[in-house]
Amino acid sequence: MIYQQYRDFCDAARQRHVIFYYVGYFSQHIVGAMADALKLRLEVSGMAGPTRRKLFSSFVEMAQNIIHYSDDALTPPDLDNHEVRHGSVCIGIDNDHYYLLCANPIKQDLADSLRQKIEPLRTMTLEEIKQAYKEALRSESPVDSKGAGVGFLTMARDASEPLEFEFVPMPGEPDRVMFYIKAII
Amino acid sequence: MDDLYIAATPTSPEVDFRFSQHVLSLKGESYPENAAAFYSDVISQVRSWLASCQGQHIVVNVALAYFNSSSTKVLFNLFDAFNQAAMMGNVVTLNWYHDEEDDTILEFGQELRDDFGALDFHDHALSGV
Repeated sequence: MIYQQYRDFCDAARQRHVIFYYVGYFSQHIVGAMADALKLRLEVSGMAGPTRRKLFSSFVEMAQNIIHYSDDALTPPDLDNHEVRHGSVCIGIDNDHYYLLCANPIKQDLADSLRQKIEPLRTMTLEEIKQAYKEALRSESPVDSKGAGVGFLTMARDASEPLEFEFVPMPGEPDRVMFYIKAII
Repeated sequence: MDDLYIAATPTSPEVDFRFSQHVLSLKGESYPENAAAFYSDVISQVRSWLASCQGQHIVVNVALAYFNSSSTKVLFNLFDAFNQAAMMGNVVTLNWYHDEEDDTILEFGQELRDDFGALDFHDHALSGV
């Protein structure tokens, strides 16, 4: 029985052209190991260099966002290095384009500020995104950011379509929502 | 001042800053968990060394195959320090290496060239990196 369930799971992933999926804890070591696995997979696939680099770049930004910002943390919240937090990431092919999806829980009251960061990027042209990226590089980091505040701009720059995102209620957890973000390369 | 050497890891670059020879090289990939933490000591050593440089020729070699967004921001500060040294009467040559297909790193190099006009900037496109 268990074999049949596993076969169903593998078949479902194959039919949906999922090439990479991980759910669990994210640390820098784990992200480095996944990055190795992904690089190998992309090299073997014969994908063009620029596409490969964009996919890899978006993967690292998403995975490190989970390390820094997921609300499901094993490490103390005030730590800013050697963090371990929970989330998931999925890479697949749809309509001849690679996509990346990632998910992690966040506090409900952070949803609005995330929405304000990502929503404007969705209507910007590539030139406008590059301009905003240049400005962000030269500005001081926002106080609530452990990175440069340019992570979403980097994803938007590497994507061929506007970034998609959602906040989904979590059963029995009114103060948290599941944050999903998707980039089509 | 002692030379600074930090070996590469899978997610952080080799830092080979030979202050004694005025040749500073960065090579590899840069996506440490906390770029500010990784580079803060590097940048402070560079700044204090640069403060002692007068009329020197300094060569900076950068061959980074990939850097994440937070590294990008910190690297920008590093190049700002080199640019200031160049404005103070040193000659700072920046050799910027990238894969010929890598538009992102090419464009970041162009940003540096545009913003930090005192640097003697040389773009080097390599094939099949």
